[in-house]
Amino acid sequence: MTIITTDTKSVTAPGTGRLLLAYLKRDKLALAAAIFLAIVVLAAILGPWLVGDAASRLGLRQRNLAPFSLGSGWIYVLGADTLGRPILARLIVGAQNTAGIAAAAVFASMLIGGTLGLVAGYSERWYSHLILRLADVVMSFPSLLLALIVLYTLGPSITNLVIVLAVTRMPIYLRTARAEVLELRERMFVSAARAMGAKPARIIVRHIAPLVLPTLVTISAIDFATVILSESALSFLGLGIQPPDFTWGAMVANGRGYLTTAWWIAFWPGLAIMLTTLSLNILSNWARTVADPQQRWRLQTLRKAAR
Amino acid sequence: MNRSVHTMAAVVLMTAAAPTAVAQDAAQEIRIVLPEQPANLEPCGTIITNVGQILSQNVVEPLTVIDPITGQPQPKLATEWTSVDPTTWRIKLREGVKFQDGTELNADAVAFSINRMIDGKITCSNMAKFGDAKLTVSPVDDLTVEIKSDRPEPIMPTLLSVVMIVSPKTPVDQAVNDPVGTGPFTLSTFSPQTVVLDAFDGYWGKKPEITKATYVWRPESSIRAAMVETGEADLTPSIAIQDASNPETDFAYLNSETTAIRIDTAEPPLDDPRVRKALNLAIDWEGLAQLFGDDVKRASQMVVSGINGHDEALEPWPYDPQEAKKLIEEARTAGVAVDTEIKLIGRNGIYPNGAEAMEAMMTMWQDAGLNVKLTMLDVADWLRYLQKPFPSERGPNLLQMMHDNNKGDAAFTVPIFYRSSGSYSTLADPAFDKEIDEALAATGEARTNNFKAIFGKARRQVAGDIPMFHMIGYTRVGTRLEWKPDITTNSEIPLANIAIKD
Amino acid sequence: MITYLGRRASHSILSVIGLLTLVFFLTRLTGDPSALYLPLDSTAEARAAFARLNGLDQPIHWQFLEYLRNLLHLDFGESLRQNRSAMQVALEAFPETLKLAAVAITLSTALAILVGSLAAARPGSMFDRVASLISLAGASAPDFWVAIVGILVFAVGLGLLPTSGTGSWAHWIMPSFVLMLRPFGLLVQVVRGTMLSALASPYIKTARAKGLPRHKIIFGHALRNSLLPVVTVAGDLATSLVNGAVVVESIFGWPGIGKLMIDSIIQRDFAVVQSTILVTATAIFILNIAIDLLYAVLDPRIRY
Repeated sequence: MTIITTDTKSVTAPGTGRLLLAYLKRDKLALAAAIFLAIVVLAAILGPWLVGDAASRLGLRQRNLAPFSLGSGWIYVLGADTLGRPILARLIVGAQNTAGIAAAAVFASMLIGGTLGLVAGYSERWYSHLILRLADVVMSFPSLLLALIVLYTLGPSITNLVIVLAVTRMPIYLRTARAEVLELRERMFVSAARAMGAKPARIIVRHIAPLVLPTLVTISAIDFATVILSESALSFLGLGIQPPDFTWGAMVANGRGYLTTAWWIAFWPGLAIMLTTLSLNILSNWARTVADPQQRWRLQTLRKAAR
Repeated sequence: MNRSVHTMAAVVLMTAAAPTAVAQDAAQEIRIVLPEQPANLEPCGTIITNVGQILSQNVVEPLTVIDPITGQPQPKLATEWTSVDPTTWRIKLREGVKFQDGTELNADAVAFSINRMIDGKITCSNMAKFGDAKLTVSPVDDLTVEIKSDRPEPIMPTLLSVVMIVSPKTPVDQAVNDPVGTGPFTLSTFSPQTVVLDAFDGYWGKKPEITKATYVWRPESSIRAAMVETGEADLTPSIAIQDASNPETDFAYLNSETTAIRIDTAEPPLDDPRVRKALNLAIDWEGLAQLFGDDVKRASQMVVSGINGHDEALEPWPYDPQEAKKLIEEARTAGVAVDTEIKLIGRNGIYPNGAEAMEAMMTMWQDAGLNVKLTMLDVADWLRYLQKPFPSERGPNLLQMMHDNNKGDAAFTVPIFYRSSGSYSTLADPAFDKEIDEALAATGEARTNNFKAIFGKARRQVAGDIPMFHMIGYTRVGTRLEWKPDITTNSEIPLANIAIKD
Repeated sequence: MITYLGRRASHSILSVIGLLTLVFFLTRLTGDPSALYLPLDSTAEARAAFARLNGLDQPIHWQFLEYLRNLLHLDFGESLRQNRSAMQVALEAFPETLKLAAVAITLSTALAILVGSLAAARPGSMFDRVASLISLAGASAPDFWVAIVGILVFAVGLGLLPTSGTGSWAHWIMPSFVLMLRPFGLLVQVVRGTMLSALASPYIKTARAKGLPRHKIIFGHALRNSLLPVVTVAGDLATSLVNGAVVVESIFGWPGIGKLMIDSIIQRDFAVVQSTILVTATAIFILNIAIDLLYAVLDPRIRY
């Protein structure tokens, strides 16, 4: 019991980091997920610098080299793709675009969707209604159509892909933020602030936004996974990232024609996507357990349970 | 009553049974799986692959057909043709031919079909083969028609292979999805899932062995291949090279398609012939060929052999990176801005491994010291660069393209690519235009030699394009069928040529 | 209730009109269809004739007014590709999508409720861990990858199922399985989470103290109170399926509206794009209203 009382207080205390690490160590699965994500982030940052050349060097005579074949160097340990480029190097380099696009899209949709949601939830003015109708429209707007329009009018580029993904994911944040605000604005502290003459903008930014943010961040962890998958589905349809740029999703999409003859081309990037999204989901589950006072004991009493 | 119960039971059994049983149940029925759903079944659009592969020579028949080996027109609904004067052709029609709706084939019906094509009340893709020629058609007697054109048309009999003859009861001002022709099969179903053709009892020619053909479509090559392997389908006209792994069922065929890169000769630094030659020399052709299979043929010109005007003796560009670098250096010293960024414009899904080929070529050109950057575009966006009017501010660009000429004559290639008026042409050389015009008006051996000279000049002096390969298509044919693909397979699959093994 | 429905309906109609307007102008930004419909070597005259035949030579705002005028007469235009009414094309495809979506969402919700509840009943147990991991892994794989591997394994390798197409019940197995993966994975998480909180709440403790059997507590008391969030998430997932499962439809040759939409978009068959969007958007708005009504049924505190 004493442990619980100390850490409920310590949400902002300096010991939080160490405590979280301790929780993480208890949950082996979450620990593995965290380590895997750390590797992905490292690859995303350092990848192009480490193996950037190898990832784009042609080896037409090493086309579809099978994995684990020795003699071509360690970089070919996962095999080579249709142009004889080492898959391992491409996975490492591709992490940057994959994670970068997903992160940018999730961040942008969280920021824009969240802001619009705050406004729509707090105010009853005409623009709130406009925002809600806009959300309806975006929700029923097929993302593929949007992708094609953006690709055609703005040209294929990573930025434009981020725009497409961000716009299509936006309504989720908008609706969540609005729902939270609807409930929060009736609370005592908001009424008090209003009574004291605070401007709406100030109330939203100072009092409401900080309470809505955690929910949005939780959603974004799962959404990150969704965005990686939608990006790969766009690549499958030829509307995603365009060569010579590539992501894991595009690698799976390009390798799908070779599943019978050279399975490794689509398998490794598919596995990378799966492990990343899985890790994100596991970690967000773990974070929810940590954040939930009713559930947190599971991570604390494990030691006692171990006989 | 009793019978319908039986039929019901049979249907239930059929549908519940293992999928393999479906295709083999009736020996005379076959299933063909195409890569794409035909958007419509308008007989005036048979030059579109997925329409032609179903309709051409099955439901509707043309006046002439092209021999796949010689490229010469052969009789079909027309039996004889003579040139009365340079602008007039007299066509004799086959006797005793009936349309599937019972109407007789006669001169009026042929005139009707041709007028329906040229009237402009419907969108007629096949008309494009005639260019901007103006035709008038008039019946002479019951089985003879005369076709006049506003300028000499020496290859009229070849052109007649795209004139599909339809029943005079077909609406003139509306494209149709239920074509009625003279072919050995009638269209019985066209739904979003299938097209079904049934044998036509009153066919004028030899009865085909097959009595019923069902067409379905799947976009993924590996799935089409799998369907033939499991017996769900009997034939697929096109699979990717990596799926063509079984020598017993998979056949390669030269498919009349030639891949190439067009060089925009109007934009510096590409207006310099040295740079254009260097582009040709810097590609590791043998390495690149790996992407398209062992049977692929290196191209030196935009038409395949068998097409009138193809020059067998014309050598393709070799791979010579030293020479390429030297030419670029020469151009640089002469003041050409060889470091300008050159856009390499590819098209998604243009041919199997097309994007990979572009990535590989980009890397090779970069190795040669050129600043080439790849952009992959969707079809409609890519078309803006392919056809005139080109986008303003397009900058120096290289364009991925593929040309398909299976119509027997280089006239379907040369003017579009090399004449200054050609819709893909970036050239503007009045002397070259004149040579092209002469070739188009010539006949016989002179025509052949003129076209050969044009291809020779295009390859050696102009170097306005980078011919890549004469492409290979792969088909998968189920073991119970006797059929081989040929150069016409991309435009038609006559069911009459398919036999069933016992 | 009636006024609520009326308000929702009028909002929805406004949104549909907004959507159609947006789509009308945006699709026309993506280029001239004549380049796609005519052979590459057609003449400029042929192109002009094509534009004239299909009303594409008019100024765009004029085309839009024409579209609205026809819309009032329930004329949704002709498909450029298919030579027939665009709405007919869309309405032929939509039931196929709807059937598949209904099967996938019903089965995955039912299965997720079962698995999620059992996992929440014994948190941290072997079953809980395995169920979470498998459901998450399924939700984390690219669907086209799962679909193609599934065909290669079950149709080609083992010969158990047909590769693709429609017809017998066997044709339903793979497409619905692939479609179910993601909803199932997400819903198991939601069910497990809400069940855990419900099981920890005072009224369950009371029920337990009264000595009610375990399965009654889980499926009777706790589940009923955890259904709201499940309905929200399942509703969202259903919405995205109604818009067409493009990847699954395309791989399995399922003649649904998703594939139709993407084909029409790529082919610039504007009338069909408009009609498919009109159909799916209407369905989505009806679905949203239905979900709201379901809330009221599930939670007596909600009144409209």
